Amino acid sequence: MMLWILIAAMTAAASLSILLPLARARKTAGTTSAADQAVYRQQLEEIDRDLERGLIDEAAAEAARTEIARRLLAAHERRDGEASSLGSMFGVRFTQLLAILAIPAGALGLYLTLGSPDMPDRPLEERLAAPAENQTIDELVAKAERHLAENPEDGKGWEVLAPIYMRLGNVEAAANAYSNAIRLLGPTTTYLTDMGEALTVANEGIVTADARKAFEEAVKLEPKAVKPRFFIALALGQEGKKEAAIAAWESLLADADPKAFWVPAAQEELRKVGGTVSSAAETPKGPTREQVEAAGEMNAEDRQAMIQNMVQGLADRLSGEGGSVQDWQRLIRAYMVLGENAKAADALGKAREAFADNAESLGNINAMAAELGLAGQ
Amino acid sequence: MIVELGHFALVLAFVLSLILSVVPVWGALKEDEKMMSVASPVTVSMFFLVLISFAALTVAYLNSDFSVENVWQNSHSAKPLIYKITGVWGNHEGSLLLWVLILVFFGALVAIFGGNLPAPLRSATLGVQGWVSAGFLLFLLATSNPFNRIPNPPIEGNDLNPILQDIGLAIHPPLLYVGYVGFSITFSFAVAALLLGRIDAAWARWVRPWTLLAWAFLTLGISMGSYWAYYELGWGGWWFWDPVENASFMPWLAGTALLHSAIVMEKREALKIWTVLLAIFTFSLSLLGTFLVRSGVLTSVHAFATDPARGTFILVLLCIFIGGSLSLYAWRAPLLKQGGLFAPISREGSLVLNNLFLTAACAAVLVGTLYPLALEALTGEKISVGAPFFNLTFGPLMIPLLMAVPFGPVLAWKRGDLLAATQRLYAAFGVAILLVLFTFWLWGMERVLAPLGVGLSVWVMVGAIVEIVTRVKLFEVGLVRGFSRLKGLPGSAWGTAIAHFGIGVTALGIVTATAFQDEKVLTMAPGDTVSVSGYEITFDGIAPRQGPNYREDVGHFVIRQDGIVIAELDPSKRLYTARQMPTTEAGIHTIGFSQIYLSLGEPRDGASIDVRVYFKPLITLIWIGSLIMAVGAVFSIADRRLRVGAPKPAARRQAIPDATPAE
Repeated sequence: MMLWILIAAMTAAASLSILLPLARARKTAGTTSAADQAVYRQQLEEIDRDLERGLIDEAAAEAARTEIARRLLAAHERRDGEASSLGSMFGVRFTQLLAILAIPAGALGLYLTLGSPDMPDRPLEERLAAPAENQTIDELVAKAERHLAENPEDGKGWEVLAPIYMRLGNVEAAANAYSNAIRLLGPTTTYLTDMGEALTVANEGIVTADARKAFEEAVKLEPKAVKPRFFIALALGQEGKKEAAIAAWESLLADADPKAFWVPAAQEELRKVGGTVSSAAETPKGPTREQVEAAGEMNAEDRQAMIQNMVQGLADRLSGEGGSVQDWQRLIRAYMVLGENAKAADALGKAREAFADNAESLGNINAMAAELGLAGQ
Repeated sequence: MIVELGHFALVLAFVLSLILSVVPVWGALKEDEKMMSVASPVTVSMFFLVLISFAALTVAYLNSDFSVENVWQNSHSAKPLIYKITGVWGNHEGSLLLWVLILVFFGALVAIFGGNLPAPLRSATLGVQGWVSAGFLLFLLATSNPFNRIPNPPIEGNDLNPILQDIGLAIHPPLLYVGYVGFSITFSFAVAALLLGRIDAAWARWVRPWTLLAWAFLTLGISMGSYWAYYELGWGGWWFWDPVENASFMPWLAGTALLHSAIVMEKREALKIWTVLLAIFTFSLSLLGTFLVRSGVLTSVHAFATDPARGTFILVLLCIFIGGSLSLYAWRAPLLKQGGLFAPISREGSLVLNNLFLTAACAAVLVGTLYPLALEALTGEKISVGAPFFNLTFGPLMIPLLMAVPFGPVLAWKRGDLLAATQRLYAAFGVAILLVLFTFWLWGMERVLAPLGVGLSVWVMVGAIVEIVTRVKLFEVGLVRGFSRLKGLPGSAWGTAIAHFGIGVTALGIVTATAFQDEKVLTMAPGDTVSVSGYEITFDGIAPRQGPNYREDVGHFVIRQDGIVIAELDPSKRLYTARQMPTTEAGIHTIGFSQIYLSLGEPRDGASIDVRVYFKPLITLIWIGSLIMAVGAVFSIADRRLRVGAPKPAARRQAIPDATPAE
């Protein structure tokens, strides 16, 4: 709003700078010939002054006077009746029209084409000082970077920033932030492992010497930690030390909870280096694509739990209060996706029961069962 | 909001410039008081609008507002404050905005101080100034808008070109621009006179101070640019006849000619038509310079705008302004009345001689600058016209000009006496001859031309002093009265003498630094010593160093004279890491007016490195001379008297043989 008020004020001032002089102008006696004569008269006076100061002598002054007098005479004769006029009304009206219409219309029209009136100023300081919830992740990071540039010994700051860098894909900065956190807050398994991971990602999946050192220190602090041992095993495989790699993977899998999200990946790596996965450790199904993708996420387990929670909630509601055909179908599908075939078959049976006296719904349910390969049950 | 307000102000200024282009000019042609009265207020409004616009952009730079594309491209939040400010014009869009700001500022000066101008002349002049402003504002808005926004602004900018992060280059463009754009006023006056078909008496009074002002700034700007090239480029040269340098030098030559012909016009009402033509030429050459630099026709450090659309736009503008004004000249100039008469040997005659040589020199530079471009455009053949061409064409033109300089001011107006003038200059001639002999004695007969060059420079310098001495008749009236007369001498007389003295000083610097420089190019290992002109320079070694935004290898040198350490120098080679741009920082030690100049070349095996070592005698005189010239201009501008050239009376010439010409 303020912008429009100022724009209006500026436009008004611009128009007035035309309208006011137009209204005020008075016919002046001064013609160009008169102006010339005034200049020549002043020059005559100047000669007298120069003579007084001794800059020229009498003879030169006389010669100059003669010459200027001649010019003065010529200018006087040129009084060609060129008295100025207040001119045609047409010219004045035209100019007024320009001032009142063309200036606002032209300026606004052009500005609206070129400008961005609804875009506020975005000074950097203001952007960084804005409340965190209104800031983009870049701004938050820049703010934290500034803070750390001034207080490079703030370990907590580095600790907070490091995983953000990691998520933004700025792995070099993440590794540096972790190393600062380690320097200031002391080494922990998490810092060391995450720093190693950042270094590994930065090298396109190759576990470098630096990274490996970090993982080894992490294992020293916490011998049963999974993640650093995982990467060390990976490193051994990359270095071509097959025996050691197989041993490392096997020991890792032996300690593992078979349901852990990383187990399939570890088994895959173990096979790659030539080891065999013991059948006891092997999960009944190969890892699904969803599981592999979920494994990349930080909170994969949480998400799995959340999905299971939602499915359980639906099942409870349907068995208690009953529901529509669509609800039952969704439950069956969910069980199939989660790989819980027995529960899916169970739900199918309950659904058939619930819609036993509705031919159309029963048909829908049976069609879906056929599609999912549950038809026989 | 500030940014958008600045954008709107710029648009509004453009719309006003269109009105300024039409209404007052129409009024002036019709002698319509009402329509003419619009010119001054509109010009002042435009100045304030462009000022608001420039201030808005500056605020955006100071606040690191990266939602403005121009700020994002050319600034960085961690840049020092001074370079945040100079960064405003350290890029194409911002520098054009500065150009327009200076343009409307000069217009506003005419509007404010032009009260005593006849109304038609004032409004037509401001109207023509409006045409130029409209052209450049349109160029800004259409192709180079500095207020383009970015909806999702990045958090950090791209930083300013490191080569521009130098205090010399920070003030060089504004100085040059004031010079270039200052000539727009004389151009507007000239075109207004052609439009109105007459040259008023007041016209003559106005053109000279404006020309002087622009000329002084252009002199400083060129000199600053030359010194920057000297210490930053590491070749030890101070002038390269580079097209971009020539682009600023041509308006200077034409402007110098204009300055002198304007004197004739002001005092004697002669050379009117020629002065009008020179005014058009001078500003046209300024525009040509802008075109060459901004269009990317020339690839150099200046060409930070290489965009064909912009180049075409400027070319069209150039054709309209130059072609239009010259056509107008061809059509209207016959209407203008010729002024006073004068004999060939007279002050006027000497100024015509000056004009002939200066315009010929300017033409030589123009040919040398444009010929390679034209040839490349026509045949695709790339040639480079370097120093040899200019030394052969420009140099010989300067020698008779410098020889004539001391004669001009001691000749009388209208009809002069060459013999009497020569007699007055005996002293200057004597001193010059003595110095020629002294130089021969000092340097031997190997370089015949150089001592003559020294003599020529000294001739100009002493000639300027003689002029003042004869003016106050120091030897006739005695010291006491002489000094009181010295004080009474008008500023313009001082201005002439000081500026001419400055020319001599610059010429002396050029001759000595070129002819007598001692140059050694060699590979030095730590501990090596090289001797130039009696100074022993020892290389201690080279060490890396980390700057705020660059890495550098710094060499350490110790300069000794007769075994006594007189200075230590640390020339370096820098690499600006952000843009991977190398620069050279020369090591310079000043001894009196002379300098020792050290520049590092390529490193060799081990710790040795190629080094260029120069001893440049009296080189600082080149720039000191140009400062003196600018001071002369200031003296002359400060003199606000009406100027009358009192002619020498014909009949009584014999009676008063020593009549001093008037100022």
